Amino acid sequence: MTTKRQHSIRGKLTGIIMITSTTAVLLACLGFTVTGLLNFRKRLIVDISTVARLIAANSTAALAFNDREAGREVLSALQAKPSVIAAGIYNHRGELFAAYEPNHGITMPRSARPDGVYDLGDRIELFSPIRFGGKRIGTMYVSADNRDRAARVLQYEEIAGAIVVFSLLAAFLLAARLQRLISTPIVELARVATLVSKEKSFSVRATPTKLNDEVGNLVNAFNSMLAELEQRDQKLVLYQTVLETTVAERTAELTAANEELLIAKNAAEKAAATSAQLARESALILNNATDGILGIGLDNRPAFVNPSAVRILGMRMEDFDGRTIHEAIHHSHADGTTFPEEECANTMAMRGGAPIGMVDDTFWRGDGTSFPVEYSSTPMLDETGAHIGAVVVFRDVTDRRAIEKLKSEFVSTVSHELRTPLTSIRGALGLLSSGLLGSVAEKGQRMLEIAVANTDRLVRLINDILDLERIESGKVELSRGVVDAQTVVDQAREGLQAMADQENIRIVAEPFAGTLWGDSDRIIQMLTNLIGNAIKFSPPNTTVTLSGSAGPADFTFCVADEGRGVPHDKLTSIFQRFNQVDASDSRAKGGSGLGLAICQSIVTAHGGRIWAEKNEPAGTRVLFTIPLAARSYEVPAADSLPPDAIAKRSDPAVLVVEDDIDLARVMTATLQRLGLSTFHTASGNEAIRLCNEHEPRLLVLDLGLPDLDGFAVVHQLRQQPALRDVPLLVYSALDLGKADQSRLRLGPTEFLTKSRCSLADFEALVIRLFGTVTTRKDSQNAA
Amino acid sequence: MPPKQILIIDDENDIQEVARLSLQLTENWNVIGANGGAAGTLLALSSEPDAILLDVMMPDMDGPSTLRVLQHQGSTIPVIFLTAKVQPADRQKFMQLGVKGIISKPFDPLTLGKQIREMLAWG
Repeated sequence: MTTKRQHSIRGKLTGIIMITSTTAVLLACLGFTVTGLLNFRKRLIVDISTVARLIAANSTAALAFNDREAGREVLSALQAKPSVIAAGIYNHRGELFAAYEPNHGITMPRSARPDGVYDLGDRIELFSPIRFGGKRIGTMYVSADNRDRAARVLQYEEIAGAIVVFSLLAAFLLAARLQRLISTPIVELARVATLVSKEKSFSVRATPTKLNDEVGNLVNAFNSMLAELEQRDQKLVLYQTVLETTVAERTAELTAANEELLIAKNAAEKAAATSAQLARESALILNNATDGILGIGLDNRPAFVNPSAVRILGMRMEDFDGRTIHEAIHHSHADGTTFPEEECANTMAMRGGAPIGMVDDTFWRGDGTSFPVEYSSTPMLDETGAHIGAVVVFRDVTDRRAIEKLKSEFVSTVSHELRTPLTSIRGALGLLSSGLLGSVAEKGQRMLEIAVANTDRLVRLINDILDLERIESGKVELSRGVVDAQTVVDQAREGLQAMADQENIRIVAEPFAGTLWGDSDRIIQMLTNLIGNAIKFSPPNTTVTLSGSAGPADFTFCVADEGRGVPHDKLTSIFQRFNQVDASDSRAKGGSGLGLAICQSIVTAHGGRIWAEKNEPAGTRVLFTIPLAARSYEVPAADSLPPDAIAKRSDPAVLVVEDDIDLARVMTATLQRLGLSTFHTASGNEAIRLCNEHEPRLLVLDLGLPDLDGFAVVHQLRQQPALRDVPLLVYSALDLGKADQSRLRLGPTEFLTKSRCSLADFEALVIRLFGTVTTRKDSQNAA
Repeated sequence: MPPKQILIIDDENDIQEVARLSLQLTENWNVIGANGGAAGTLLALSSEPDAILLDVMMPDMDGPSTLRVLQHQGSTIPVIFLTAKVQPADRQKFMQLGVKGIISKPFDPLTLGKQIREMLAWG
């Protein structure tokens, strides 16, 4: 194709050059021929004209004398002129006078024609006048042979043909050489263009020519264009790369965004699903819960009742018939006496948004029967945290009560039934081993002692089982009070000193500073248990260390021994029943395997916790916590009091409600000097809370308080059966009238006016209100 | 001074016997026994013992009923419960019935007499 193109452009160029030059040569030849022919004719005419004039001049005489012969002779002179083929002389009448006809083929015109030259093709005829003395006497005729012209034309044509052939050859050779000047760069351009289009590369360049002409310019322009294109191409590639990078980045961003969206979408879907699931679950829980669930609005009327509640109460939503929850199901006490709503502390608390938990109450069914119930009420808050009601979850505990009763009866019966034969065995063995019935052989004596020891152990085991069952079933009400930590530790230690001495163990007790809220008997039981264990599991000549520390809310007791220690994996399990570190311990040490389980039950009942840890360098530390008595007032002069003046266990606690701190301090100190433990608050609301929590044995109440005044406090305490009989000492700034006094009575009540009473009056009233109070003096005397 | 006479009312003859033996041996008291509340009441009213050791759980007439009958009959004989019921609530309830003391079963035969003496404030 390239070749064809090359041929094409070269051929065309060659062709153009050759056509051009040939045309020029032909035109030149034509001109040359025409000019030659014209000149030849002109010379012929001039020639015959001259001949005619010569003949005419010579024939005048003949004519004038009408001498035809003479005329013929004159004409015969023309024999020297071969080109003249015929000649004649005409007289003045135009009649032929003499003729010259070398060739007879030619016929002479019979008469003279007007003067002039006549070109007849193969000959040229001339008619010219013959004058004599200015007078026309005849006409001269000459005919010249013009056949020469054709030969001349042929000759010209041959010459022209030769010229054309030569010039064509020359032109071809020249063109073949010269066309390269133009075609080579163009072919080169074509080649490069083809290359560019074929290889799609702009890096090729046409070979530049040295020519400073249009072709050179074209090549340069083409190269510039290629350079430009290449640059653009490179830029394009660059742009493309940038674009690709950008696209890749955007794609990555989009992908990431997409993924995030997907994650968000999934999360949202999941959340929606979870929410739907939650709603379903909530509905399922509500519908399938075995516990009755009541939603209660602020008006104390039911907002929703779940199927279990309907079943347990035998009442549908519509059966409530506009009554409040209290009116519908809580209207009477267990004994059937009416329970007015305004006296129901739980209803009040529920309306006030307080959570309630009751394990022992009575609900009434729609058919008028009642059942023991355990319930809790939780305040219901909307999204903004506003109190919109309460949810009461309750459970008919009839069956559970029955089972608990059965279990309890079973345990107590079994323990009784076991005790009876044991009594005989123990008694008989005791008498036998005492020797009162006569001496027994030494080995027999040893056996009897073993029998006695194991009978005692069996009795302890039965006692412990009974004890544990009672604590865990909640049968044993903790008789809580303010307990001094040092006192309980001292008592427990006292009871075990003999055992420690026997085992050669030293008991070291650090000072215990803390006032607890608990059952002192049970705490002593625990300490006895733990210290007894520590002694039992300590090798002789080691120390059992007792220590304690008060935290923000709890007091922590610690009993540490230097014995063989408890393996790490058993530190937790030792609190389970019959789970001793070594099964042989119970035999060797005479324990029941229930001591720590009982301790754990007691601690749990107190709201504390118990755990064991490794003692350094050897042995075990058992720690347990008991809640501190709330807000126990620090008496400034406490350290001046001997320890025994501090409230003995089960001594009553006095709640002082006074916002004047100095006055409260004085009153507290006075009360403590009387051997009473105290706690203090400056707030009416807090006073109600503390009363509910601790049931103080005496309440000392200021009337003017920052939040609730004394009247409101008394009013609220009257609503609660456990508190309406608490002895009260009202301490007011002004004398009170009878009406006011009647509004302020709880149990035994006394009134004091601040400005008019001494500390001695206060002390006297406290003693009167609290007949059992022993003063410090008395207790010292007793000691 | 004649030896004290003690009446043991317990439906378990074995316990009666152990208690009798231990009191005779340790305190040299004269011990009589009855194995039921009704028989015990009759014996108490007829023989006027210095003290009665009274079991609480008996099939025919339990300890508290026996005590109530005795009190109703105007008896002033001090009564001590001898019982396997060791729970504090029971103890408290029994004390309110007017007994002089409560001795837990099983008892230590060697200190039974001493316990009784302390409860009744016998020298």
